Amino acid sequence: MSRRKTRAKVKLTRRDFAKIAATAAGSSLAAYLVTTGPLSPFGDLKRQQLTTEGDSHAATGPHHWGMVIDLNKCIGCEYCQRACSAVNDVAPDKPWNIVVEDSTSNGQKFFFSRPCLHCQNAPCVEVCPVKATYVRDDGLVIMDYDRCIGCRYCEVACPYDARKFNWEPRSEENAFVPTWGVPEVERRPRGVVEKCTFCVQRIDSGLKKGLIPGEAREATPACVNICPVGARVFGDLKNPDSAISRVLERQPTIRLRDELGTDSSVYYIPVSEEA
Amino acid sequence: MTTISLRNRQFSVSPGTVAWFGLVGLLLLIGLVSAVIVFKNGLVVTNLTNAVPWGLWITIDLSSIALGAGAFTLSAVVYIFGIDRFRSVIRLAVLVGVIGYTSALLTLVMDIGRPDRFWHPWVYWNVHSVLWEITWCITLYLTIMLVEFAPVIVESRLFKRFPWLRKFGHALHRVAPVLAVAGLLISLLHQSSLGATYGIIKARPIWFKPSMPIMFIVSAIAVGPAVTMAAAFIMEWISGKRTIAHDLLRTIARFSGLGLLVYAYIKFWDLMAVTYYGSTPGSERAFATLNTFTAYGFWFWVGEVFLGIIIPVLMFLVPRFNRRPINLVFGALCAAAGILINRWDVTVSGLVVPVSYSPGTEYVLPPQAYSPALVEWGIALGVIGYIFLLFTLAMRFLPLFETGEEAHAAG
Repeated sequence: MSRRKTRAKVKLTRRDFAKIAATAAGSSLAAYLVTTGPLSPFGDLKRQQLTTEGDSHAATGPHHWGMVIDLNKCIGCEYCQRACSAVNDVAPDKPWNIVVEDSTSNGQKFFFSRPCLHCQNAPCVEVCPVKATYVRDDGLVIMDYDRCIGCRYCEVACPYDARKFNWEPRSEENAFVPTWGVPEVERRPRGVVEKCTFCVQRIDSGLKKGLIPGEAREATPACVNICPVGARVFGDLKNPDSAISRVLERQPTIRLRDELGTDSSVYYIPVSEEA
Repeated sequence: MTTISLRNRQFSVSPGTVAWFGLVGLLLLIGLVSAVIVFKNGLVVTNLTNAVPWGLWITIDLSSIALGAGAFTLSAVVYIFGIDRFRSVIRLAVLVGVIGYTSALLTLVMDIGRPDRFWHPWVYWNVHSVLWEITWCITLYLTIMLVEFAPVIVESRLFKRFPWLRKFGHALHRVAPVLAVAGLLISLLHQSSLGATYGIIKARPIWFKPSMPIMFIVSAIAVGPAVTMAAAFIMEWISGKRTIAHDLLRTIARFSGLGLLVYAYIKFWDLMAVTYYGSTPGSERAFATLNTFTAYGFWFWVGEVFLGIIIPVLMFLVPRFNRRPINLVFGALCAAAGILINRWDVTVSGLVVPVSYSPGTEYVLPPQAYSPALVEWGIALGVIGYIFLLFTLAMRFLPLFETGEEAHAAG
């Protein structure tokens, strides 16, 4: 029982070493070939991923889509939520765009609304194990519903509660259609996480037609179009002449939880406190 | 002895055996039925919500991986630090590891919304994601353990007729030290990144701290070997054969006791830093919410600290307790329960407290309590059945308590 500590004897000849090294090199090569290399059944998918996504993690392209929400103007009518739910065919209990009554620390009531904030340094994008969500080069944080595995880590990581999981297949009729708009995108399947897209379908098709998102209604998010008081301004943050850039120049704005360094694309004009 | 045929041995059943397999079968059936319900209807049948999207199953994943940590710890002791006398428990440790990791993967497949896409992390890489790294590490390390375990499987009587397979298995055994080094690195990575999964979430004040990965890995290193030790004792009681020297198992228990003391020390400073010295409005409000909506304080002090640390430390380290195997097994079970409760507390508590995305205003999302649905417990029972089944089969058919030295020398 009182055996002393002895070193495990490993007799390693030069030949053995060569064998081990060759095995290791061979296995890594084989692993590469069958996972992402030319022999892989998934190789095409991988290459497609690399070419379409690039490695931008921020708005490096010519545009950066952003939004300003004026909390002084918002009257809490929830039209934005309804139009959003109709156009994007969102489930009633998991709205992408929320409106809640809120009050400042000295008790003044106001209405607070929140789409996805499209962070340039997005916590949800960082944690996704399969790159099913990513920041496009125009600053939009987009979901790939065909890739999402439904692990819900992004939902846990989002500081703004902007992501919702599809717990069940949907078959219900959308009560907001057609009063508030007609669906422009298909319903997301069971088992994936979904979120606000700034109505990316309108932006992309609008740009193709030569329209300017934020100016042409056809190319602007549904929530911005429907707002009866013009509380939301949408546009290109990179264009100094866009409506949004002019608002940002004139008005003091804040971003939600800026201290987390998320660098979000949605700016709020805070409630002006009455004396 | 060698002429006794397989059939005679295999089918000598006692009432106890029948009852045991009945229980295992029942557990597996419950698990299977629950799995069918979940796959058919989707995760809506669970009690998980958008406020608390992770629950019991994630707790099982985290715990079974942590409790399987004996495999890498003891492999490192033997193959890297060269302490050869622990060689006799390596096979059992690797078995516990394989069972823990496969349980985790089984539960994980239940938990993701699209089980049909489970392979996506291997094709679509996001190297920035800790969860991606964990998926890779877990599958790689499981492969390593299976290679380490292959010689044990081919040595079993079932493979007597395939000498070439045995030869192949023993050839694999020669790379064991290399695998141990790789396994150590990979384990150090993912055992801690399981904690980092929570520690990096800056949106949630009670998760966001650098001590998270450290507490996860230290607790895994401490408790993993203790679970292996308990498994050895329990197998000895069942089979009636002394398998691994008791003083060796006691040494493992002492190691675990010391490990738990280190864990307690880090936990103490973590608690001090988060609550007493460094409380922020965010963490203060989070703890207040937790204590109103859940029995967080009770589970922390009684479950994690008393049951998970104090009792096992006494059982493992105090000489008058650690002489009796029953105390060591009791301590190991308490420590394992402590791990389970800790992983539950970390996961669920962080989610019950909602994020506050517009500070300075009074609106907060409503906190939401969570208790697992019946079907979630069903999957948990199924996993327990799976664990029992694998242990039983391994005990019956595998030469777990030979070191493989003889065969190695011959081959």
